[in-house]
Amino acid sequence: MSSAKGGLVKLADVISGMIGILIGAYVMIKCQSYPEDFVMKIGPAFFPEILAGGLILFSALLILQAMLGKSIGDVERISIRQKGIQRVLLALVGMIIYCAVLKPAGFIIATIPWIMFYMFLLGNRKKLQYVWVPIAITLAVYLVFEKLLVLSLPAGLLSSIL
Amino acid sequence: MNVDYGLLWHSYSNIFTLNIMFLIFVGVTAGIVIGALPGLTATMGVALLIPLTFGRPPVASLSMLMGIYTGAMYGGAISAILIRTPGTPAAAATVLEGYPMCQKGQAGSAMAMSLFSSFVGGIIGCIIMIFMSPLISGFALEFGPVEYFALAIFGLSVIISVSGRSIVKGVMVGFFGLLLASMGLDPISGYPRFTFGYSELMEGPNFIPTLIGLFAVSEVIANIEKMLKTHKVKAKLNQYLPSWNDIKRSTSALIKGSLIGTVVGAIPGAGGDIAAFIAYAETKRSSKTPELFGTGMVEGVAATESANNSCQGGAMIPLLSLGVPGDAVTAVLLGAFVIQGLQPGPLLYKEHMDLVYAIFASMVVAQFVMQFVGMVGMRFFAKVIMIENSILMPMILVLSMIGSYAMRGNVFDVGLTVVFGIIGFIMQKYDFPLSPILLALILGPMAESNLRRALVISSGNASILFSRPIAIVLMVLAVTFLVLSFFTHKKIERRLAELAVKDVDMTLT
Repeated sequence: MSSAKGGLVKLADVISGMIGILIGAYVMIKCQSYPEDFVMKIGPAFFPEILAGGLILFSALLILQAMLGKSIGDVERISIRQKGIQRVLLALVGMIIYCAVLKPAGFIIATIPWIMFYMFLLGNRKKLQYVWVPIAITLAVYLVFEKLLVLSLPAGLLSSIL
Repeated sequence: MNVDYGLLWHSYSNIFTLNIMFLIFVGVTAGIVIGALPGLTATMGVALLIPLTFGRPPVASLSMLMGIYTGAMYGGAISAILIRTPGTPAAAATVLEGYPMCQKGQAGSAMAMSLFSSFVGGIIGCIIMIFMSPLISGFALEFGPVEYFALAIFGLSVIISVSGRSIVKGVMVGFFGLLLASMGLDPISGYPRFTFGYSELMEGPNFIPTLIGLFAVSEVIANIEKMLKTHKVKAKLNQYLPSWNDIKRSTSALIKGSLIGTVVGAIPGAGGDIAAFIAYAETKRSSKTPELFGTGMVEGVAATESANNSCQGGAMIPLLSLGVPGDAVTAVLLGAFVIQGLQPGPLLYKEHMDLVYAIFASMVVAQFVMQFVGMVGMRFFAKVIMIENSILMPMILVLSMIGSYAMRGNVFDVGLTVVFGIIGFIMQKYDFPLSPILLALILGPMAESNLRRALVISSGNASILFSRPIAIVLMVLAVTFLVLSFFTHKKIERRLAELAVKDVDMTLT
């Protein structure tokens, strides 16, 4: 393992360990407000507290391992400057918008442009495919779920004709 | 509990209906496609396609899922042989002989042998499952909360062996998963925990959206980041069944592979990938010409493919008889059972014996369907590998979103899928394994509710946990398993690394 890569694993492990400790601490604090069962002395907080303790312990161990230079594994850098990560962020924005418009716009209207967006993001530049692929996928999923499985998908703007 | 032969035969009449045969056919085909596509694993396949079973009666849904599982275990071999990229981790060992065969112009016979040995392995795994699991479940019928708690702990001890490279990270993920499982109403007092004010989280994060997010959406996000190139297949596929000569040469590899696969599959934590490597190593060791291994030996393909498919029968034994998943795919299957209102384990045998036998029957039938679909669709599946990522990924994304939505008709679940997609993506970037979360989500509630129930019975006295002999045995087994996995973890790592090095050498020479 090259030293740069080793440094990256170490940093990633320290960050992950910190996140683990924070999650554990949050659970511990939250558990303080849960009621205690007077008969058995264990209530809703009992199990999560044990788990949070375990998480904190192993997170600390991960940090310790990193500090001692004993990190193992293969970690990849996550940086906002990477083109790939920028694409991921755009993809996430697309997903959030999809969640927001799925119900009001309806499955068919929301999904067709959404698929086009991801095709573009994934580097597809074939114009003809932009016409048939999104429509084909959307209609196939619609027919399978709505007609074959009789599970209702949001109709949205097309509710009067579907 | 003994095998009920009358019911065993009768169960086939439940499966041989047009509706169920169609569903198994669709399941197997979808499974092979998903298995063949690099990056899409059997776990993801079952997770992604569970929504297609919503609203169907249990026999129909579970038959289809068995079809997907069977197909996906085989599908991985197609891309392993044709493009040197295992479609699923279980097919990694198939690359070792399958790809050199393809390079020598024997892609047809490699493909035919991989299909046939998957079929043989699958059938042998099923037969062992049919005879073993009722015996184990009969033993487990007497279980009370104490034993179930011990069983859950035993199941959780598997986490180390599905931890990937760092055990510390695997255990961290296990605790994180258990905390996720503790979200929602407390199983005894009904007090809401960690719901962040969302009524949708009262039952905890819904299993299917969580699963689809972690295993499917994260993969799509990774693909968007990497923009992986699509592979081109140039091999000639001119054979549907292996030649008589090849079968004769591979008989011992087939039998050994199938037995190794079933046993390894039944051990919690060890899955198709490990079984295939062990079967490969054993076949090579006992061969008269071990030096020729790595140059395209058909026995190698027979050993690895029979091993990873027989694993399926093996892995179903603890799932059906004890209600404990042995790996990620069976954890997902367990979730599918629960969605159907069924709890795998000894009670399933007592209350839904007919259903258990129908599952057996559907698995056996799925093997035959796999052989048929695999032969007829061989050229089609080879083309599927070439489908462009820019079309495939949006398709998976739409299926993921709508699959999460369809269960409760709730956009909240779609959001949850996205959140878990991001978590899964980041975890993979930082080399954290995802499978422990699945096991924790399934076993967490089982551990907590039974622990608390046991403590209610004993008025809070913890010594009850060590009062029953079976529970003590299970706990001791869990500890032994933990210690053993800890030591074998490094050993397996080393051996896999050695094989990988040899694999690289082989392509360089």
